Amino acid sequence: MTRTPHEAESVRRPVPSAIPSSADSSRSVPPARRAGRGRPHRWSTKLAPWALMSPAMLVLMLMTIAPAIYLVWSSLRNDTLLGSGGRFVGLQNYQDALTNPNVLRSLLITGGFVLAAVTVEMLLGLLLAVPLATQSRSNNLAAALMLLPFAVAPAVSAMMFKELLNPNYGWIDHYMGVLGLPAHVEWLSNTNTAWIALIGLDVWQWTPFVALILMAGIQSLPKEPLEAAAIDGASTWQTFRHVTLPMLAPFLAIALTLRTIQAFKTFDAFKILTGGGPGASTEIINLGIYRVALQSFRIGAASALAMVLLILLSLLVPILLRAVGRNADPEQA
Amino acid sequence: MSAITAPRRAGAQRSTASVAGRVLLWAWLLGALVPLVFMVSTSLKPSGIAKALPPKWLFTPTLEHYQSVLSGGSGTSVGFDRLLFNSVAVTLGSTLLTVALAVPAAYALSLRSFRPRKALSSWILSTYMFPPIVAVIPIFVFAGKLGLVDTYLVLIVPYAAFNLPIAVWILRSSILQIPYEIQESAMVDGASRFVTLHRIILPLLVPAIATVAILSAILSWNEFLFALSLTRSAAKTSPVGIQEFTGMFGTDWGKLTAAATVIVAPILVMTLILRRRIVSGLTFGAVK
Repeated sequence: MTRTPHEAESVRRPVPSAIPSSADSSRSVPPARRAGRGRPHRWSTKLAPWALMSPAMLVLMLMTIAPAIYLVWSSLRNDTLLGSGGRFVGLQNYQDALTNPNVLRSLLITGGFVLAAVTVEMLLGLLLAVPLATQSRSNNLAAALMLLPFAVAPAVSAMMFKELLNPNYGWIDHYMGVLGLPAHVEWLSNTNTAWIALIGLDVWQWTPFVALILMAGIQSLPKEPLEAAAIDGASTWQTFRHVTLPMLAPFLAIALTLRTIQAFKTFDAFKILTGGGPGASTEIINLGIYRVALQSFRIGAASALAMVLLILLSLLVPILLRAVGRNADPEQA
Repeated sequence: MSAITAPRRAGAQRSTASVAGRVLLWAWLLGALVPLVFMVSTSLKPSGIAKALPPKWLFTPTLEHYQSVLSGGSGTSVGFDRLLFNSVAVTLGSTLLTVALAVPAAYALSLRSFRPRKALSSWILSTYMFPPIVAVIPIFVFAGKLGLVDTYLVLIVPYAAFNLPIAVWILRSSILQIPYEIQESAMVDGASRFVTLHRIILPLLVPAIATVAILSAILSWNEFLFALSLTRSAAKTSPVGIQEFTGMFGTDWGKLTAAATVIVAPILVMTLILRRRIVSGLTFGAVK
């Protein structure tokens, strides 16, 4: 055998002569693929990325831009899925929505829920991140345990909370009684306690997310400023307040932005735990839209509500791009 | 990590603060475990003592509830085994679709010659803001018109779409972290873009693709709103079905918690496998 393997290959599969081939490229590249690639055509370098992008763009547009366009159209009509309506009504749906005290209340309590839950999660997350950031074997375990609530489907955790809060045989009530606290609280039939339960569930589920972001942040901070503060005799609190916290700002912004957006999308917990009750006292806007669209089938009215929510949330996009996009983009690093 | 350990000089102060911190940390962790302990322990209790107060901690564990729910025994209108099967089908479908859409898109967005890559990346990230409840209305209307209600497809496509921002961003930043020289030298050797993608980039991208696949599997498996709105029985998934364990005659805790444990267990395992990468992924890679 005198021929090298590569010569054997080129005998088996002759290479078109138009291709400027270097001897060792033919070994790793099947000749058929190479046709016309020696000098990339203008159109292929221009069009290839679009071709690669288009399936993902298509699906994403189908699920975001197309629904938005549909909502603009249907919010101007009084369509229902029960056959009535079907007329163009102009801005009537918006006027109805924005003058309806229940809708305004619903928007207000949505904002209140997001504010309360995210504030507690940020503060608690920061308090937990600091001890969690010291690297030790017990903290490896702690970080793993921290992740657990995160893995539980929100629908499942809502079901578990509902049973734990049961006034007759729930554990929470029982152990509150043991500790001498008021027992047999009808948690979910009373507005104030229902809110405590809803915010408590959200805090349980999402504080770990904040804590783990901030833990990663603290661990990534440079040591020099801390050492400098130590040499200058700063106290623990002074160091934390004036050195660690400012350096942590980008991570706080990431956690705050993502949690705010996620909190506005909350649905499962409310649907399962209270269903908006008692009365409509915990009916956040997501539940309201669900009820009007999928239970009363008033598509026009629901579309107007959905547009209001979409416009409000669009205001968060620049913050999302700034806080998350800039830090996540390796090209800008 | 010594970055946050405060100076030795402030030793006494440091230890008080750090002891308080550690107490808070472990108190939180223990408290946070309560719902999970409730779920797992109740699922193993014989029916007679499931609701006993004070909760019984010593009992002979039984798998009767698992046998009952996994064999589709009473509890839900659609057997729980069927719900699980639907969840698996929808999760696999949407995960495959997410990866198949995200890899080429992420590659295109990493090409320096592709001018609109920054604008398009930002647009993809901004769709994370889009509230699913808003998309549900038109999807509900059109799925009804097209006869797609209660099919796997009507869940798979929206799940993939809503997982795409995270998937594309994770993959894109992984591709950008591959030194450009490696791609360049492959192309100097005569490899086409396709061959470079196939032979050079994809093998280096395997960990990122695994992360994306696991993350989208978790998000699809746990999803509730679309599944509640767009399915009735044939394609109903387990997070929706689990509500039905609360019936007119009270809740069968054994069955409810066994079903809950079955839903949570695979996700718990995947979460622990991903560990740090799960937080990194859910922040679009902004936190390493």
